[in-house]
Amino acid sequence: MASSLWFHVDMDAFYAAVEQRENPEYRGKPLIIGGNPDSRGVVSTASYEARKFGVRSAMPTSQAKRLCPQGIFIFPRMERYVLESQRIMKLFTNFTPEIFQVSIDEAFLNMTGTERIFGSPNEGARKIKKVVLQETGLTISVGIGSSKLIAKIASGYQKPDGLTWIPLGEEESFIDKLSIRDLWGVGQKTQQRLAELNINSVQILKSLDLLKLERIFGPRTGEYLYKVSRGIDPGIYTGVTKSHSISNETTFSRDISDPETIRQVLLELSHSILFRLRDEKKESRVLVLKLRYSNFSTTTVQEALDHAFRSLEETHKIALVLLSRRWNGREPLRLIGLGFSQIVPDQGKFQGELFAEDAGDLRRKKVEHTVITLRKRFSKEIIQKGSLMKKDLPDRSPRPKE
Amino acid sequence: MKFNCDRDVIIKEFQTAQEIVSSRNALSILSYVLLEANQNSLLLKATDLKVSFETRIPVEVQTPGITTVFCDRVLGILRSLPPGEVQFELLDHERFIIKPLFKTNIDFRLKNMGADKFPETQWADPDLFFSLRQSDMIEMISQTVFAVSDDETRYFMNGVYLEKQDRTLIMVATDGRRLSYIAKETDGNLPDFSGVIIPPKILNLIRKLASGEGTLQLAITDKHLFAEFDSQKISTALIEGQFPNYQRVIPEKQEHTVLVRRGELNEALRRVGLMVEKSRRIYLDLSPDNLALVSEESELGMAREDIPCRYSGPTVRIALNFMYLNDPLRVIEGEDVQIQFTETNRAISLYSVPEADYFHIVMPMQTE
Repeated sequence: MASSLWFHVDMDAFYAAVEQRENPEYRGKPLIIGGNPDSRGVVSTASYEARKFGVRSAMPTSQAKRLCPQGIFIFPRMERYVLESQRIMKLFTNFTPEIFQVSIDEAFLNMTGTERIFGSPNEGARKIKKVVLQETGLTISVGIGSSKLIAKIASGYQKPDGLTWIPLGEEESFIDKLSIRDLWGVGQKTQQRLAELNINSVQILKSLDLLKLERIFGPRTGEYLYKVSRGIDPGIYTGVTKSHSISNETTFSRDISDPETIRQVLLELSHSILFRLRDEKKESRVLVLKLRYSNFSTTTVQEALDHAFRSLEETHKIALVLLSRRWNGREPLRLIGLGFSQIVPDQGKFQGELFAEDAGDLRRKKVEHTVITLRKRFSKEIIQKGSLMKKDLPDRSPRPKE
Repeated sequence: MKFNCDRDVIIKEFQTAQEIVSSRNALSILSYVLLEANQNSLLLKATDLKVSFETRIPVEVQTPGITTVFCDRVLGILRSLPPGEVQFELLDHERFIIKPLFKTNIDFRLKNMGADKFPETQWADPDLFFSLRQSDMIEMISQTVFAVSDDETRYFMNGVYLEKQDRTLIMVATDGRRLSYIAKETDGNLPDFSGVIIPPKILNLIRKLASGEGTLQLAITDKHLFAEFDSQKISTALIEGQFPNYQRVIPEKQEHTVLVRRGELNEALRRVGLMVEKSRRIYLDLSPDNLALVSEESELGMAREDIPCRYSGPTVRIALNFMYLNDPLRVIEGEDVQIQFTETNRAISLYSVPEADYFHIVMPMQTE
């Protein structure tokens, strides 16, 4: 059997790059997109100029402001990024039918068996990078490997505008060159524990047998570390099929327990999945929330309505209900995912409502449809949601409440 | 404790109990039923803490006593036994023995939990009860219970609303898109109570278990509803919350009226419905004295059926969720049905002809 060939495509500082493309005054400047520094908001994306100051994603915005006082701070415009993301994902369909979008700005492409069409993996990747740059003016980093894990780690190896190919058989020596911090999915807590145990290189980590790792870190993390340090894919992002569900998730590089930040993340996720659902002319009555806690245990919980989700407000509201069922408001979270399942075509026959407040939901759905139509027709958006409106920070006026 | 009972008599009660008990977990007392034998009758109790059920059946008691048994297993055993008299016996407070009276080669010995572990069930003050014809109660349930919402986020619509106006009892159910209403004049004096939301589980049980003969006693407290009929007692916790102001969505007067034979409409709906996916759109195309039921075009094709009717309004198309039309038509009892509307995108009303105590309101879907 021919071996697999996976590309991991990661857009470089995606939100920042979109903003810099559309707002020339931001170009070449440290641009920081994120939540309000006064309400414990966190950084979503920092431009490469801002990263030089040490600003990182998921860092509290207030800290970013201390590190980089001259930075330009703006709120994210999720709908804009979602549309841009869809445009880019569509470009990938010219290269392979098997696209697994894992978040707004990254995707795995199964390129197995495409060498005849696009040439060597390096040539194929260069073609993809070129098309994306030509069509959108954005740069991407591509990692190539025999598994999703290797491709994922490779895409982060050189950034921005990177291209890293790890040929079959060289996985382990590639991993050996990395520092523990670069291993995918090894969070801060685990890193800390490893450092405490003086395990400060991949080689030392590899010298520990599975049993020992499991004893120190528990069965789940232990096995994960054992595999990852040997370049073996522990099964990242498996089982995500796009046909019957639309989902999106946010992995934090720093575990998050601030309720306000989590609310905001759920709003962003609600936004992105609902707009994707609408864009594909589908509807769904089942919302699924996925949480991964800092100890790597993962849980999902879902709610089925007796009607299709009608608005962003409704989606966000149910997402918060689901959150309250599985989260105590304190425990640090590593990942939040939100998705629609049991998706069916939206035939546009909206059921009328007897009571006024429900009719309000229907009106909101119509508004959202209009917004999408307008945005498609005009490249610059002419309409946007107040609470996601970009504004210079610090606020001159209070941020609108949800 | 020792008693005999016919298998078919006791199996019926265990089947009801099985619908009540919340759990099939043998470790939970809520999976058990309480049995108490005395004075030639057997008292059987089951509860999931929200809904409680008790019934008394005549049995031949040799030794009085009390115990609890695992409902799921006893039901399974009873179903497997041959018909006829079955002997039940509690040995040394430890083993509950089930064996057919005339087939002594079968012998089940079940472990059980002490009756003291069974939760206390409360019962309303006898003064609170008022009486209602069983046939009226059953009709009220049948006309409304199907319309409740199963969307847990609208928990206040997850039950049937019951309120009183003078001597009239009113039941209303809605899921926000359709609404069913019935008002029954009672002959007795009703105690004062403010409107309550009743979970459908108990209403379906009452409908199923009531003989339909004679009366039923009801009591309503702040948080519970109690019903007693035919030697059976059921109680339930009520749904807390504010039922929507339903009166303002009931159209007072509609401009147009369609009068159609109920039987013909039902037949046509059954046929055209074969081409309509569940919860999907069906069109009512109205022209003078003609009602056409039209399915929408699907991958499989379409269907249309024309029915004569009495109608003199404009030629219009109304789109409805198939279920929202089908559900009320299954319970309307008149010879004819009146469909009333004013505009095709506003609520339509369904009435029985001759007039009955109930009507149904349905919000249409968009036609395109």
